[in-house]
Amino acid sequence: MSTEAIAAEKPKRNYNALFGLTLLALLVLLWVILSVATQSFASGNNISNLLRQGSMIAILAVGQTFVIITGGIDLSVGAVVGFATVIAAMLINAGVPVFLAILITLLVGVAIGLFHGFGIVKMGLPPFIITLATLTSLRGIGLLMTNGNSISINNDAFQEFSRSSFVGVPNLFWMVILVGIPAYIFLHHSRWGRYLFSVGSNAEASRLSGVNVQRTIYMAYTLSGLCAAFVGVLLASRIGIGNPTQAEGWELQAIASSVIGGTSLFGAVGSVHGPLLGAFILATINNGANLLNVNAFWQRIITGVLIIVIVYFDGLRRRGK
Amino acid sequence: MTSTAQELHPAPTLEPGRTILELKGLEKRYPGTHALKPVDLAFKSGEIHAIVGENGAGKSTLIKLLTGVMPRTSGDVIWEGKPEALATPHEAMALGINAVHQEVVLCRHLTVAANMFLGEENSRYGILQQRAMVKDAQKIIDDLGFDLPAHVVLGDLTIGQQQLIAAARATVRGTKFLIFDEPTAYLTRKEADQLFKLIRRLKGEGVTIIYISHRMEEVFELADRVSVLRDGTLVGTRNIAETNDAELVKMMINRSIEQVYHKEHFTPGAMIVEAKNLSGKGFENVSMSVRAGEIVGLYGLIGAGRSEFVTTLYGRHRKSAGQILWQGKPVQVNSEHDAIRLGMALAPESRRDQGLCLNLPVGLNLNLPIYKRISSNMLISGAKEKTEADRQIAGLRIKTPTRNALASSLSGGNQQKIVIGKWLAHGAKLFIFDEPTVGVDVGTKAEIYRLFGALLSKGAGIILISSYLPEVYELADTLHVFRRGKLVATHGFRTANHEDILTQALAEKQEKLGGQK
Repeated sequence: MSTEAIAAEKPKRNYNALFGLTLLALLVLLWVILSVATQSFASGNNISNLLRQGSMIAILAVGQTFVIITGGIDLSVGAVVGFATVIAAMLINAGVPVFLAILITLLVGVAIGLFHGFGIVKMGLPPFIITLATLTSLRGIGLLMTNGNSISINNDAFQEFSRSSFVGVPNLFWMVILVGIPAYIFLHHSRWGRYLFSVGSNAEASRLSGVNVQRTIYMAYTLSGLCAAFVGVLLASRIGIGNPTQAEGWELQAIASSVIGGTSLFGAVGSVHGPLLGAFILATINNGANLLNVNAFWQRIITGVLIIVIVYFDGLRRRGK
Repeated sequence: MTSTAQELHPAPTLEPGRTILELKGLEKRYPGTHALKPVDLAFKSGEIHAIVGENGAGKSTLIKLLTGVMPRTSGDVIWEGKPEALATPHEAMALGINAVHQEVVLCRHLTVAANMFLGEENSRYGILQQRAMVKDAQKIIDDLGFDLPAHVVLGDLTIGQQQLIAAARATVRGTKFLIFDEPTAYLTRKEADQLFKLIRRLKGEGVTIIYISHRMEEVFELADRVSVLRDGTLVGTRNIAETNDAELVKMMINRSIEQVYHKEHFTPGAMIVEAKNLSGKGFENVSMSVRAGEIVGLYGLIGAGRSEFVTTLYGRHRKSAGQILWQGKPVQVNSEHDAIRLGMALAPESRRDQGLCLNLPVGLNLNLPIYKRISSNMLISGAKEKTEADRQIAGLRIKTPTRNALASSLSGGNQQKIVIGKWLAHGAKLFIFDEPTVGVDVGTKAEIYRLFGALLSKGAGIILISSYLPEVYELADTLHVFRRGKLVATHGFRTANHEDILTQALAEKQEKLGGQK
């Protein structure tokens, strides 16, 4: 057989699982090292704290991953989070029942995602551009709505949620599971998930095969917007205020988590567990650096180096040694 | 004449030249596969040496070794009397070995001139001499007799024209040894003629040409000698004057040519689709129909309107006039989605751009059109997904280690089987195949034609578009000839001869060419 057929001899069957295990091993290794190196890392308090810190980025990263798999990018998620805190805060302070306030906030996220889909599919704008435009506009709209002030949320029950735990695990981390499981089933076991991959790999071939490419793109950005709005609700609960400038730079952290988790920015490669692990690896590094009294500026540098190292080794392996 | 005598003592070529490159026991092994068994072969300067063989016979391996893309396992390469390592592409190019590939590997966003001089730009004090380069490029192009501007962006040209530029580019780099890998796969006849002129000219200058093609008529038109590879073994080398089509095919596949075009006849059944006076972008006033159990062939040059006609039928482009009847009823086909819902399936021409998700598994590619069927509500049935994929891989004889292998890891012929085969399980009524056997070897062609029979026997109809006349001629029950956007002639199964059909497809173009000169 020809040379091309040879490369096929090593099936990449368990590639995702294997890569996931490697990330998990890295995470555990970090935890072990930090437990030994510091006294406070292994304390229950700190672990809960770490899970809270990682949770919100993790959820953002899952939505982001859907978009990246289609070969796109969603730069707006950080701004959507900030905007969503404002919407949630205003609604709750206006006396809207909390569950309804949350629902409306989520719908705002869906609307933003649909707008992104519209810009890409109907107006033919590159994803980078349309989401960059929303990134800056949403912050502006939020500032206009609040006159640049923070809105304190006067509802204790709402704020209590993010601080509490259920069977010893912080509620925020339960939210990751709440998002992660349906996301996993959606991406890996539903045909819509399959279509995300096929569109990211070859939109033209997918369309000729009867896949509704436009709807698939709408869906990816809508889910990303939805995840971001959900994180906005969680953030509002955690900090107790609505402020459009919150979550500055979170889009980059979400993208970084996704990429560390094995998502290819060229599309068609990605998973749900990867970005989740990626987010918690980043959270652990930040948390550990704080405990070790490492200058906060170094944390950013470490994150950058980590992205290069992981993506490089992943690329090496993908190319098949 | 005995073939063994020829193999031992290759007769001198038409223009006896000195040996420029000699392969001694050249061999390539991969873990588990012997891709190229020891090959002894000598190439002379100023000869056109064709290499034929099925996909996977070892042609691409041989090219990769000669161009330094991959290291050899053992054996010697002797270039102008000296052994060479030939370990990197750079080394090969320094010697004067270049290749023109089937798929154009140039920068589509740069101008023709920029591509011509890519890596060897003319600059003075670090400033590019753009105007001079365009001028030089234009001179080279004009010299070669190509009617192309040097200042336009490469991506604006047709694939065929880009291929000509790729060939022209190779000629300006001190090339002594030039490999063409299926260069005419996407060329029109006129473009191919220009390319052949270029090749003959290079030969006249003493350049050695290696010409790889699945098209036998080209091999006979161009080559001085031909070598046949099968399963990684060099089966033999012949002087072109002393061999024929049948012998070469037999050497390649151990099978006779009649077995390739295996035509099964079915009684035409119910009308599936009818186009009435259909007009659209690139074609006008075309009427035709397809019945169950029937292959309707569309023959014509690239750009004659065949592809435009079917993509309009398929809902990709809007029709400007006329009517489409589906099973007797008038229908509106406004999108591919509508077409697929009605029961049409299109296997597109360019498998890399339109047919396959290359970096996804074989199984996913095969199942893509039928995910709706193998999932309940939204969830995919994992078991059905597996069995469907495995059944298809076995039925289509796709050579792949597992259904999870990436489509990009398969050979071209096997990829093509996926593009066509994925529609088998879908159960469409009308299949449109646009150039289904471009760049595919004889053995795979035979298998693809067998698939046609399988589809027809299930009561489907087929529209077969091809630029390769023998294919439509031997397979189509009804053959329509397109020329410049019009349907100019219709024939039954084998009721016309090749020359007439060619004339009908070409007539106007030839007049036009004649007028220009």
